[in-house]
Amino acid sequence: MTRLIHLLLFIGAALVAQDGSTKGNWPQYGGQNSAWRYSALDQVDASNVGQLAAAWVFQTGDNDGGLQSTPLVIDGVMYVSTSHNRVFALDAVTGKRLWSYIYELPKTFTTFYGPWNRGVAISEGRLIMGTLDNYVVALDAKTGRQLWKVNVEDANQCGCNITAAPLIVRGKVIVGVTGGDSAHRGYLNAFDLKTGRHLWRFWTIPGPGEKGHETWHGDSWKFGGGATWMTGSFDASLGLVYWAVGNPAADFYGGNRKGDNLYTDSIVALDVETGKLKWHFQQVPHDVWDWDAAYEIVLVDLPRKVLINVSKGGYTYVLDRTNGEFITAWPVAKNINWIKGVGPKGELLGRNEPVVGKPKLICPSIGGGRSWNHGAWSPKAGLFFTTGIEWCEEVTAQAEIPSEGKTFFGGTFKLVPTPDKKSGGHLGAYEPLTGKVVWKYEYKYPLLASVLATAGNLIFTGDAEGDFFALDARSGKKLWSFNTGSGHRGSSISYAVNGRQYIATPSGWGSAVAGLMQQFWPETEQFPNGSAVFVFALPEQKR
Amino acid sequence: MKLAIGVFFLPVLLLADQTGTSLGTSAVVARGDKLFAQGCAVGYCHGSAGTAARSPRLRGRTFEKDYLVKVIRDGIPNTAMPAWGDRLTDDDIVALVAYIQSLATATPEGPAPSEIASLAPPVAVKDSDLSPDVRRGRELFYDPQRLQRCSNCHRVQGIGTPVGPDLAKLSRAQLAAEAVNALKYGRPRRVQGIVTKDGDRFPAILIERGPSETRIYDLKAIPPVQRNLPTTEIQSIQQPSGWRHSQAVQSYATDGVYTYNSY
Ligand code: HEC
Repeated sequence: MTRLIHLLLFIGAALVAQDGSTKGNWPQYGGQNSAWRYSALDQVDASNVGQLAAAWVFQTGDNDGGLQSTPLVIDGVMYVSTSHNRVFALDAVTGKRLWSYIYELPKTFTTFYGPWNRGVAISEGRLIMGTLDNYVVALDAKTGRQLWKVNVEDANQCGCNITAAPLIVRGKVIVGVTGGDSAHRGYLNAFDLKTGRHLWRFWTIPGPGEKGHETWHGDSWKFGGGATWMTGSFDASLGLVYWAVGNPAADFYGGNRKGDNLYTDSIVALDVETGKLKWHFQQVPHDVWDWDAAYEIVLVDLPRKVLINVSKGGYTYVLDRTNGEFITAWPVAKNINWIKGVGPKGELLGRNEPVVGKPKLICPSIGGGRSWNHGAWSPKAGLFFTTGIEWCEEVTAQAEIPSEGKTFFGGTFKLVPTPDKKSGGHLGAYEPLTGKVVWKYEYKYPLLASVLATAGNLIFTGDAEGDFFALDARSGKKLWSFNTGSGHRGSSISYAVNGRQYIATPSGWGSAVAGLMQQFWPETEQFPNGSAVFVFALPEQKR
Repeated sequence: MKLAIGVFFLPVLLLADQTGTSLGTSAVVARGDKLFAQGCAVGYCHGSAGTAARSPRLRGRTFEKDYLVKVIRDGIPNTAMPAWGDRLTDDDIVALVAYIQSLATATPEGPAPSEIASLAPPVAVKDSDLSPDVRRGRELFYDPQRLQRCSNCHRVQGIGTPVGPDLAKLSRAQLAAEAVNALKYGRPRRVQGIVTKDGDRFPAILIERGPSETRIYDLKAIPPVQRNLPTTEIQSIQQPSGWRHSQAVQSYATDGVYTYNSY
């Protein structure tokens, strides 16, 4: 009887517990809407990964900005987006091109945030992509034919655009916007998947009369940033969309935006039907360091329903995702000096702010204690795997006058060595509730590719010099490596077709943070760009 | 026009500069240094003192003067490099060129960032001498705080989506007559009612009707959606559509409309 009850309890728990693992398909940007980046496939495992061999390679032909996207795979077809909003549909077994789509960008067009694209979303046969000139386009996933497109806001005016993958839930396309380092007021939009019609907008900065507006001085709310430049998550049982909101603008100078500056640097939970705010948690009130809370939001049941979010300032936040209650925060980088720590209620202890006109040492650098490249959660290991970066900068703040749509940084910076002279990157395995490090893999440069975890007890990622490699999830030991000829800045995935497991990774060095590295590691200027998808599998006879 | 002429003469100015002594003087370079710190070194751009970031390193490299002028003034299309011609004076550009050229002999590990304690407005935003009414009208037309802004449906001076008529083509008198009419009372002449086979009804502007595909602007929600519908999916296209311009712009008070008119 107790066994039966246990079984029922187990089934009950399984029904409500968030299952974020992927199997044959890799249907969403983060794997599933809970952003685990974990594949339940285990054909490739720690015992045989050494035999992994290239199955096919696809060259996209556009190296500018590298290849930063997450490919999707649905029913044997891979969809990959590249810089300048090109989309390719490929046979996931052979790499053969099924169709391609080249988005028509205006002839003369400059964008501060680009030219890369970080992924598309697919649902009900429709493929959705945000564009460099701030449109959202829908294609027929079978043919690549354009179905609709809608201009969110004129990119020439707002200086903003879309580089992140949208999130599609319940027939709604939810899509963010860049513009956090420009004089722009951020937002998140929902469009109807079928028609493209606008459904709701959540302003990340409350307007006059709205709660939270009082956290902005004067007119500063109009130019206060708050970009939603990465992809959020969704909890179907709660009906809540989670999004991380970026830094306030100007980045380094807050003198004319006195106040907490809600909802910048916050996690917001929104009702999926209306876009109305259910709760928020602000990580950094009145940010003056450019510490976006922009990255992935990983939904995990421990069994408490929590979310995990690594912030650019180098702390990983764990919150109760039903109500936004702070649970804990722990660092992913050693070199953090902008605060002394995070208190028991999530409050910041001992702020160390940039000053006007005088260089000040701040760690980590503007590139972040981690960059946007995503971490992975393995339910099998019970661990969260994320990269971290050790580097510092000298920031000099300056007052700037905002001009709509123009960059609005409020200062300059220069990368400098960490006090212990050990700048570089690492990938760690962390216990989510304690931040305890189970193992750490060290690297001489920042690691700027996302992490993939699989049920084969493997962790995959790539480095700046082109190595794509597998680590043992339990020990961090390197088990396999393959050089793709260009550095890694995208997100690898796993999928299966006809019973064969594949590991796919974008390869192609580029991006803002990769560019920054040149200040400190001049040799990286010579690292070649690229833009290709590499796909690996075990040799046929070996499985 | 004033600006265009200024820009036109800029290379000439620079040439004159070359023969004189001022281009390389420390005062000009210092001015360029300051401008660079405020506009070019910021964020992910060229890095402090040109040490590179997302955008190329400028330090320790040699550039032709004319090339620098052109790039600063006009930007580089399809890249992150914007045109600064409308935000910088000719003198500013001369100073920046001088500064960037001064970096040619600098080593990658150069001096610390320059002192830039200025609280004064840095790169001043040029606003042409518009009357307050016109300026207000322009603000309303492009108002980023409204979803219903006019530029969501009209493209003027290269900004906006060209769904509704090109307002720039109307004469002042026409505009005066049309605006009030269209905005407040008028029955739309170009907007049609579309019914699709699955029963969806909505107002739309027809862009192109082909044998297999019909391209429209769907006006049911703002911003309008450009849709490519299979022609066979369309039941009917006819007037009236039930669409009213006054509803599309209901967030604007009448005075806003009048003000716009003067713009
Ligand atoms: C939802 C889209 C939309 C918005 C928003 C919009 N317009 Fe229009 N506008 C139209 C369309 C469509 C027409 C053509 C109507 C017709 O004749 O069928 C039009 C017509 C006009 C005309 C008449 C031009 C002519 O040649 O007849 C004027 C003037 C005008 N709009 C001004 C404005 C102004 C000013 C605003 C902002 C306050 C604005 N519009 C906002 C869609 C829009």
